[in-house]
Amino acid sequence: MLLLGLVATATLAANGARRLRFMAVAFLGVSLAAHLIAGPATSLAQLSVNATAALTSAAVLFVAARDGRYGEDPGWRLWLSTVVAAASTATAFAFLRTVATADVQIVLLGEDPSGITQEVAAFWLLSSGIAILLTARGAVRGSLGALLMLSGAQLFVGLAPGPQLAFTLLLSWLEVVVALAGAFLIVNERALRET
Amino acid sequence: MTLPLPALIAGLGLASLVAFAVRKRLELAGPFTLAALLVALALALAAPVGEPSELLQLELRLDPLGQLTAVVLLGVLAALVAVVWLDEPAYNFFPTALATATAVVATLALSSPIAMYAALFLGLLVPVGSFTFQIHRNRSAEAAYRHYAFVALGGSLGIAALALAGSLPRDQPPVTFVLLVVVIVIAFALKLAAIPFHTHAALLASEVRAPALGLYFGVLVPLTFIAFARILTLSGLLPAIVQIAKVQDLLLALGVTSALGGAFLATGSTELRRVAAYSVIANIGQALVGIATLSGPGIVGAIAIVLVSGAGATQQLLAAGALERRSGTDRPNAATAPLAALAFVAGGFAMIGAPPLVSFPGRFFVEMIAFSYSGALGTALVVATLGVLVAQLRAAIAIFRVAPDHWRVERRPVAGIAGALVFLGLLVGGLQPQRFLAPIAAFADTFIRALRPF
Repeated sequence: MLLLGLVATATLAANGARRLRFMAVAFLGVSLAAHLIAGPATSLAQLSVNATAALTSAAVLFVAARDGRYGEDPGWRLWLSTVVAAASTATAFAFLRTVATADVQIVLLGEDPSGITQEVAAFWLLSSGIAILLTARGAVRGSLGALLMLSGAQLFVGLAPGPQLAFTLLLSWLEVVVALAGAFLIVNERALRET
Repeated sequence: MTLPLPALIAGLGLASLVAFAVRKRLELAGPFTLAALLVALALALAAPVGEPSELLQLELRLDPLGQLTAVVLLGVLAALVAVVWLDEPAYNFFPTALATATAVVATLALSSPIAMYAALFLGLLVPVGSFTFQIHRNRSAEAAYRHYAFVALGGSLGIAALALAGSLPRDQPPVTFVLLVVVIVIAFALKLAAIPFHTHAALLASEVRAPALGLYFGVLVPLTFIAFARILTLSGLLPAIVQIAKVQDLLLALGVTSALGGAFLATGSTELRRVAAYSVIANIGQALVGIATLSGPGIVGAIAIVLVSGAGATQQLLAAGALERRSGTDRPNAATAPLAALAFVAGGFAMIGAPPLVSFPGRFFVEMIAFSYSGALGTALVVATLGVLVAQLRAAIAIFRVAPDHWRVERRPVAGIAGALVFLGLLVGGLQPQRFLAPIAAFADTFIRALRPF
């Protein structure tokens, strides 16, 4: 639960940030907390790969900012995206999870065998990402939305059966490519704004 | 000679890094990229069909449809690279083409739906760099951003839905699986530019260079459609579609809207590249209807339409690019590049499914099965085909409105020659349709069996 709170707080910080560099640091916090939620189910190799991808993606966005002031003011979009994300998280969780037979135990710190906090975090990140992307005016918030959505999708994949290390590697590459493409668009957008 | 699939994918990935390193030396990057693609094409052709290999517990296997698609799409990529190298230099296109080829082979070879989807997502993101050029003179940066947003949205939603479908216990209420299938369908519609999710493609069509547009409509859109059909088959969600007709109705509605809307938009377009792009969207609509009928002929027709439309679109977009470049500020006309103009018109035959090209059987199958499904559905598809026909005729008349004093082949007729090669391929396929349709029919058989596993 504590990590879930950390994911939510860091997402709000990233969403509310006016400066791209602050956004990048907040995204790193979101990503690390989200990957730690899975707990002992995640192997050390997977955690290392995930952490490296998160660090690289945040670094790519940090460098793309070029200076500490560049960014995009969210304005009213912050509140709209937060309300939409909260409402859609609750709706999606209600419709897409049936826990009638599961023994649910929610603890403040420690293992989450039912996967509930992981699912809630995944729905929250996916909804927040969609809300941010749909209300974004440009590539700065667009990239953040895309990265948050992908982080949510990564948490869902962690719950699915299959070769987890291979999935982790593929999705980590994807995260870095999403960040690189986003950074490329940010640099182009800035070049357009400055002329 | 055969090469294990992981080695082929790794080799293409490595080649894209090499092409990136030497990208500014066009005399080196161009031939290197073309040679790498031709080698990959030969290796895909020689790859043992159905033989599995494994990488990190992920199974890779090229089925007959995978092999056919790999050969067609790598061939189309090779044509695009040849034109960029010889006629329309753009240094960042070469690594992009090789990275796309890597994603193509990976998407077709992987047999885990989540991994396949992730590879497709990667492939769709790669061209963002190629879409952007001369940003102060056009809206290509905005077009690239829109494409990025659509792909990110569709990609993340699709991966999440597939993972949820795999992780939920099977005793869920049917509505849960229906919701997941609906999310997957919408995720693919976003990436396929099916109407009403086509706004990014419309902007791309007017703002992006012709070869980059060919990369999207000629390679990535067909790959996305085939991945959609394969992921549906492998995800175990098909029985949910059969049980609840609403999903089938959603696919049909999406298909008919795209077919009619694409044809309508193509008819109203005055730009050659828009005519080609909207014709592809109309054909994707026809193909979606084919899949939605959940019948053997419908599935065969759908995949055939998509593959041929990709090749035809590449032919038309390259020709449109050559005509626009040579006409300068004037409207494109045949007098400046007669061979490219002929290639554009010949590409139109593929887009409307005219016999004896291989595009005919696919369209015939889909329209036939649509009529057997309902008269209104069949009529809608025929009207859509007529719309595309009118659009192509208008474009051809516009190109040939100025008759030159004497016909002389343009200097460096690369787009025209590439178009002629594509046309020849479609003609040979039309004369021997069983060789083209047999791998697709084998996949349709697998699809039908996955519909009713018990």
